[in-house]
Amino acid sequence: MVLAASSLQDVLPAVARAWDARGGVPVRFNFDATSRLAPQILRGALADVFVSADDEWMRWLEERGGVDGPSIRRVATNQLVFVVPTGAPDLPGDPGSIARADLARIALAGENVPAGRYARAALESVGAWSSVEPRVLRGGSVRGTLEWVARAEADGGIVYRSDALAEDRVSLAFAFEGEAFPRPAYSGAVATRTEFRGTAEAFLDFMSGAEAEALFSASGFGLASAGGPVAQTPAAASALDASPGLDPWSAVRLSLIVALSAVLLGLVPAVAMGWLLARKDFLGKSFVSMIVMAPLVVPPVVTGFLLLSVLGRDSALGGLLATMGLPIPFTLLGATLAALVVGFPLYVMAIRAVFDTVDRRFEEVSWTLGVPKAPTFLRISLPLALPGIAAGAVLAFARALGEFGATVVLAGNMEGETRTIALAVYSLLESPSGRGATWILVIASVVLSLVALLGFEGLTRWQRRRMEDHHGR
Amino acid sequence: MVADGNTVATEAWGLHVQVRVALDAIELDVDWRPESDHVAIVGPSGSGKSTLLRALAGLEPGAQGHVSFGDDVWLDSDSGVYTPAWERRVGWVPQDALLFPHLSLRENLAYAGAGQPDVERMAASLFLSDLLDRRPRFLSGGERQRVALGRALLSAPRMLLLDEPFSALDRPLRSEVAAMVRAFARDSGTPIVLVSHDEHDAELLADERWVLVAGRLIADGASA
Repeated sequence: MVLAASSLQDVLPAVARAWDARGGVPVRFNFDATSRLAPQILRGALADVFVSADDEWMRWLEERGGVDGPSIRRVATNQLVFVVPTGAPDLPGDPGSIARADLARIALAGENVPAGRYARAALESVGAWSSVEPRVLRGGSVRGTLEWVARAEADGGIVYRSDALAEDRVSLAFAFEGEAFPRPAYSGAVATRTEFRGTAEAFLDFMSGAEAEALFSASGFGLASAGGPVAQTPAAASALDASPGLDPWSAVRLSLIVALSAVLLGLVPAVAMGWLLARKDFLGKSFVSMIVMAPLVVPPVVTGFLLLSVLGRDSALGGLLATMGLPIPFTLLGATLAALVVGFPLYVMAIRAVFDTVDRRFEEVSWTLGVPKAPTFLRISLPLALPGIAAGAVLAFARALGEFGATVVLAGNMEGETRTIALAVYSLLESPSGRGATWILVIASVVLSLVALLGFEGLTRWQRRRMEDHHGR
Repeated sequence: MVADGNTVATEAWGLHVQVRVALDAIELDVDWRPESDHVAIVGPSGSGKSTLLRALAGLEPGAQGHVSFGDDVWLDSDSGVYTPAWERRVGWVPQDALLFPHLSLRENLAYAGAGQPDVERMAASLFLSDLLDRRPRFLSGGERQRVALGRALLSAPRMLLLDEPFSALDRPLRSEVAAMVRAFARDSGTPIVLVSHDEHDAELLADERWVLVAGRLIADGASA
């Protein structure tokens, strides 16, 4: 099992096929951001070979006994490039022009992902970081970053040359060339816990050999020799902890804002839908019910993807919303929408259940007293269902607090904008020194969820008591 | 359209009911033209009494046939006429009272828009004055029945539909409340249709009695 930086996911399988053809044992891969793979290896992920996209993560892992120091070697190099969606007018021509205002959203890989760290260093070296920072969309891996540019969700992004070549929906604007800019370099090593040390060594040799080198360079990678020796100085942990912007309280605040807005935004639709499903029979009712309930069983990431397809800037509806000044993807509104869609089934289910228990004859009495349907609904049905509606809102609130999958796809992981508690915890997993912040978030999350559940219990009991009222004492 | 007290009741109130309603086990099928304006329908439980009242109130959308009251046609399946419950303005008092649980007695009584003086007067005549600010769940069954009655009377009904209205009242209170309802009906010229399985209740309020058995309505001269 080879755990490798996600920017290698096109070239390494080709290398493995060549290795296979030479009679090597079949190789399996796990591609992800280096910053996620390195901690996973320490926590016991199955690994024989690790290929890191930067030296600091490799050293970090070596210091902690995750890889064998002597086996570390240079595998290939890469280059940072600035890409824009294909067809974009007026390509920026050099690093200085990134500061231009018309590039409203610039996609970079996450703070601790090597590509994200390289990109920040490159922008800092031309003095553009402070003006770019507020416009940054943080992707997970470099592949996610590339996808955002390809979908035109971002006006531009910084990725590796090899990624830019593999994707025809983006155009290369310029490369960060020269001594002033960091040179991304990959290093490989044998994982300490491997059971196949010999094979792992052999595959590493093959990967840094002449045949593999040809494959790397055909895919846009640079020669291993261009990267120089793998850095020998162990990295200070703080060098990898590029998350000074991650304020746990900001994530807690954002979670509350997102969950509350989702609940308020969904109130009227949820009451209407719950009432409709409880009280009306109509053609296609089971179909409507199925669509509403779907987010409960569909993986949230899939829900997020579908939302992005419908509401993304490259879709008709999303484009329209964006021109109206209501862009959905990668905004607070998007995070709210994702939380709402995923929480909506619980919301509707609770409200439907309460309308099922409210005796319809109360409404009938009201009609015979001369009060038509709509005012009867407002004066009788709604107040009687109120505790149950509140219980549904609390349940949806709790679900919205915990939302991760749909949010990360539709809204990204942007500090102060869409990075809620769940996303912040996920980001901190790849930040070696974020333990304090992590615990604040974990405790806040557990406390909020328990309070919400307690509220749900109380409201449900209130509803039950109210319904028992007219059965005599 | 409503009796002024001197005219003969039959002409004035002119209720004609010819309906069929499918029930669980039987079919309610009546062709009914009562003569008096204080009518009781007696019959065993399950005979369709409550359903007949509900059909009159406009609460049985499945009812087929014809219902007219005075000059108003409430239901005519052939021509598609259906007057909704809120336009029929009948004072329906269901058997289990169905007081709105989230409202106080005062709010229940005033629900149809009656003013506070009327509410207080009605409460006094039903011996409920001390309870006005309570919620229904703190009331006994008899108190609830009286509130339901008062709520219906305060809605300026054109007809009273009473479903076992005295079942939870003890005997002396029964006569007093019945006398009060009778006085209300007389003063306002409001016809009453009462259903009960209790012969005694029928005698308290009605001048004319019908018997409902297995969905069929039969005239009964016994108490006329």
